[in-house]
Amino acid sequence: MEREVMSTAESLAKTRTYGKFRCHNPSCMERITVPPGATRVKCPHCGLEWRVYWISPDFPRIRGPVWDVNQKLAQEAVAKKAKRKEGK
Amino acid sequence: MALNRKIAYIDLSKGKIETRPIPLEVRKLYLGGRGLDAYLLYNHTEPNIDPLGPDNVLLVSAGILGATLASATSRTHIMAKSPLTGFLGSANMGGFFAPELRWAGFDHLVIKGRAERPVYLWIHNGEIEIRDASHLWGKSTTETQWAIRKELGDEDIKSAVIGVAGENLVRFANVMTGIKDAAGRTGMGAVMGSKNLKAIAVRGTMDIKIAHPVEALEYNKKFITQITSAKVSQTQGRLGTPFIWGATNPWGGVRTRNFQYNQHLYADDIEAERLDEIATETIGPYHMAGCFGCQVHCRAQYRIPSGPYAGVYDEGPEYTAQGAFGGEPECRSAITVLTGNHLSNQYGLDLLEAGSLISWAMELYEEGILTSKDTDGLDLRFGNDEALIEMIHRIANRKGWLGDALAEGGLRAAEKIGKDSIKYLIHVKGMSNLHSDERATPALALGIATASRGSDHLRSRPAIDLYHLPEEVLRKVYSNPISYSGPLSSDHREYLGKPWQVFWQETCYMGVDCLGICKYHTTFLGATLPNFEDWSRVLYLNTGLEMSPTDIWTVAERACNIERLYNIREGLTREHDWLVDRYFDEPCRRGAPDVIGAKIDREKFKKMIDEYYEHHGWDENGVPRPETLKRLGIDKEPSHLL
Repeated sequence: MEREVMSTAESLAKTRTYGKFRCHNPSCMERITVPPGATRVKCPHCGLEWRVYWISPDFPRIRGPVWDVNQKLAQEAVAKKAKRKEGK
Repeated sequence: MALNRKIAYIDLSKGKIETRPIPLEVRKLYLGGRGLDAYLLYNHTEPNIDPLGPDNVLLVSAGILGATLASATSRTHIMAKSPLTGFLGSANMGGFFAPELRWAGFDHLVIKGRAERPVYLWIHNGEIEIRDASHLWGKSTTETQWAIRKELGDEDIKSAVIGVAGENLVRFANVMTGIKDAAGRTGMGAVMGSKNLKAIAVRGTMDIKIAHPVEALEYNKKFITQITSAKVSQTQGRLGTPFIWGATNPWGGVRTRNFQYNQHLYADDIEAERLDEIATETIGPYHMAGCFGCQVHCRAQYRIPSGPYAGVYDEGPEYTAQGAFGGEPECRSAITVLTGNHLSNQYGLDLLEAGSLISWAMELYEEGILTSKDTDGLDLRFGNDEALIEMIHRIANRKGWLGDALAEGGLRAAEKIGKDSIKYLIHVKGMSNLHSDERATPALALGIATASRGSDHLRSRPAIDLYHLPEEVLRKVYSNPISYSGPLSSDHREYLGKPWQVFWQETCYMGVDCLGICKYHTTFLGATLPNFEDWSRVLYLNTGLEMSPTDIWTVAERACNIERLYNIREGLTREHDWLVDRYFDEPCRRGAPDVIGAKIDREKFKKMIDEYYEHHGWDENGVPRPETLKRLGIDKEPSHLL
């Protein structure tokens, strides 16, 4: 039963990153690098804006959305979708 | 030996107790915990019995790795026919009970019959006594535990108990241990109450001999590194499971107003970080506690800072409490969530079910289906914190017409309420759904539709599907230990390939439930946490049992099929593996751009179920094929090996 090879879980752990989190927009999910100590960050890929909480000095996580900004963007996206449908 | 713990058969009607060893061949077939419980339930109950009658069997167990040198082997499993659903009843709790049970010499308890008066079991170093519990009847879950410790003069006794909800046969009552550890689904507390069994107290000092102790400790160090270095574990260790709320509410994955909406817009006071602030203010900076042998420490301690219960100590709340007393009823106050959590713990009530049913009643009230006459004057509108708290009291005590009706569970309550009330009930197989919204995630929707104990997120949820992991990563996870070359998609809105993920996760979760390991230590919330390959090694080093990752997979598959056989015997059909209409007909109204408008496609979902059945080796009706049963060696059940 002796084995030296890494298990799947261990090998995947090698890909872990710190100081970044993934955008919570499900159609984006890109990694965002957060400036140290920042309390808000805008996703450079999709534009949604997030409130930031720090688990430890090098480990940020998303606390929640900046509601006004994200709601506005969501409404715009939905309106665009609806317009496209009407056009069809 | 770690494998020499026994099984005890306890007949409360006759006051008879018998103990037996568990043969090695049975261990190899089911390992322990939930797997062996499923086998015992199938073998020790007759079809169509009354779940609250003496013929129902209550099974209490530890996993095969309980109290060994492996991490997080704290889990206690409880099984019986469910009084809520009429199908498989099964619940799992952390804490310290299961290791103590093993130190007391037992792995499995098979409890049947009904005591004439309230009793409790006292299990210590190989001995079992049935003792009078008349003086404990009516006490809360913690009062009962402290009273038993005092009575028996040992502060280290661990007890699994019921509260007032279990005594009152509330069909979703919990079995509890410690302050907040709850075997909290499918009404196992009601089964215990129906047997007049108030508590099971255990204390043991019988050593468990580890097969290869030095290597086991060494390997566990690696295990611990894997667990503590995972981001998800670190976040959990800081904020507990409420951190999930922070990840799901912003993008629109939380059901609110009984599933009318999918995002709580006024949730600032019930966010994980706010709850963490309260815990820090009332307890101090080191307010996170853990279960036996766990390095994650995801259980917060707190005192309620204000309101009628100001100063009261409790633990939690979990993600489920945020949804049950925040999201679903659209209440905004942390005090409400903390108080609801506290009352549920004290009454021994499944808070997920309670919060969901109260929110359902709130919608019925706003729709005019329930009137103030039905609520005894209570203004049961969404967002009414006081009404929510009052309803928790009423349900646990079966007080008032509505409290008594809801204590019967959703389906029975819908019959009593009548009109169109059933249309608004959010359930699968008669059990309420977690407050997460699965309309934008077909894989998660499939998981709750097909879960063996009714709507449930802990039976087969591929939670990592939300992380958009690259396909090669998914393939690495989901092609082990059984190879899989079919489709896999990083897009959680996709239907293709998802049934395999659900099937894989179901087998994985059954694996941990047989071993007695916490689900937060496997591929649930993090892709880098241990699973089959690691378990094979840990099992060997601790118990001496040589089982390959594939062997463990087969054990889990076998146990899943026994659960399926049990449900089919109790009347389950394909129609029960289905979701309520809102999933298909009403699109998400809030959230991120791609979540708005999302709903489940009926036809694609049917195909998903077909594919899921196929992976299991079941026919189009969800019945295991004869060749599947033969392959797993369960074609001649019940076999009465134990």
